[in-house]
Amino acid sequence: MSNFTIPVGPLNVALEEPMYFKVDVHGETVANVDIHAGHVHRGIEYLVTKRNVFQNLVLTERICSLCSNSHPQAYAMAIEQIAGLTVPPRAEYMRVIADEIKRVASHLFNVGVLAHLVGFESLFMHVMEVREMMQDVKESMFGNRMDLGAHVIGGVRFNIDDENIAYLKAQLDRIAPAVAEITHLYRTNGSILGRTRGIGVLSHADAVDCSVVGPVARASGINYDVRVKAPYAAYDRLEVPVHTLSDGDVWSRAIVRLSEVTTAVDILRQCLDNLPAGPTSCTTERPSIPVGEAIGKCEAPRGELIYYVRMTDSPRPERVKWRVPSFMNWDALRIMMKDAKIADIAIIVNSIDPCISCTER
Amino acid sequence: MNYVRTLIRNLIRGPSTEVYPFGPAWTPVHFRGRVEFKLSSCTACRACEQVCAPGAIRFDKTPEGLRFMLWHNTCVFCGLCEYYCPTDAIHQTDDWHMAHATAHQYEMAIRELISYVSCTACGAKALASAPNPAGVVPPFTAEEIEIQRNLCPGCRKTALAERGVK
Repeated sequence: MSNFTIPVGPLNVALEEPMYFKVDVHGETVANVDIHAGHVHRGIEYLVTKRNVFQNLVLTERICSLCSNSHPQAYAMAIEQIAGLTVPPRAEYMRVIADEIKRVASHLFNVGVLAHLVGFESLFMHVMEVREMMQDVKESMFGNRMDLGAHVIGGVRFNIDDENIAYLKAQLDRIAPAVAEITHLYRTNGSILGRTRGIGVLSHADAVDCSVVGPVARASGINYDVRVKAPYAAYDRLEVPVHTLSDGDVWSRAIVRLSEVTTAVDILRQCLDNLPAGPTSCTTERPSIPVGEAIGKCEAPRGELIYYVRMTDSPRPERVKWRVPSFMNWDALRIMMKDAKIADIAIIVNSIDPCISCTER
Repeated sequence: MNYVRTLIRNLIRGPSTEVYPFGPAWTPVHFRGRVEFKLSSCTACRACEQVCAPGAIRFDKTPEGLRFMLWHNTCVFCGLCEYYCPTDAIHQTDDWHMAHATAHQYEMAIRELISYVSCTACGAKALASAPNPAGVVPPFTAEEIEIQRNLCPGCRKTALAERGVK
């Protein structure tokens, strides 16, 4: 058998995002992977220092579409820490609601794309149709399908009336059985199992070495979830089970995501049942932000997202730095792809749910 | 195969997509679409200009007054302007029919003028903006707003003090 070097990407590896892999193959087996990034660098870290605190809420939201709620949330948490603002309890619960709605949609999207890459197109469309129920929820409650615009400094800027609560509950009642059915399919369907079991394995030891986060870590048996380890918003008052599996293959990562969707639906129900009354923001005016620095972190659908913000006496931050989950996870691709078949490359890349726009900003 | 049941059910249900443009498309009540500006409520505090992330909102000083400008082609429909407006002068409607020919690109903007007036009390040049309602108890009546609108900032303060507001 002869050796080749083949390019995979930079367009259309798994999702429509640019990532370039230079793959050395021996016959049909991957021998070495070289990852090249930098195709969607937009200079957002620089732009953030040119806009004021309030404009940045919108800018950080547009770094990435699938984690578009987690970015402003971590940013707002850091700013609130600098300004010493206390978010009212109702707003904390509503931040959880926004967070979990995004998580359901994001995980279903990734699991759907997995079916597409396996070649099971009708299942892909079915999962996307189920996800569409959550998209309708986002559009009805927040006014946009992707960019929720849920956060302001000091709270949230949407409100939930009884009509919205009834609508969300009705949608959850429709989504829960559909997700249960999808999970059963992913657990039993031969086409899915044949292409995902034992593929792209990341052992527990390798997962620790690579410091992977989010569903990728939990599928390799690492019990780490920011919502439990360092609760923010209202997560300390809610029951948040962490799902872990030990195999660390593509299938485990999909099942962890599907289990988290079920959990998210449950957390949403808990929030709606315990939603306290009161204001949704600690101030309706624009608070002044003093000099200081702070770190905010939250659990984005892909894992731990950390924001560092430093304010000087200017209305614009001097430095904002964020570490996104995909940055930690894509290094593990080298290990997952070792000795994989060329045909499995796309499935393995999709299994870490890579967010190139977050990572390269 | 267990998927066949799901497939048949989806087939019986028919298409999930909407027939738009041949029929109406569902639009939620809270949809964040085209922006509406109510000139009579604007206090010219310029909060919207400050929070506007893409810089779609701009206030320009002209010889006739202060001009409010909002470019829909630059707007990202985030809704921060509506949230921070103290008088609800700016509002997002559920209208999303924004596709247009390139020839009409300069019409996709709101241009309104807050004109200069002579203060009815002292005659100084002043902006005919709405008074800021923050902290005014009891709230302004429609008549009072019209009187305040034609006063300069100094005379507005005097009028408020005479009204007995802290």
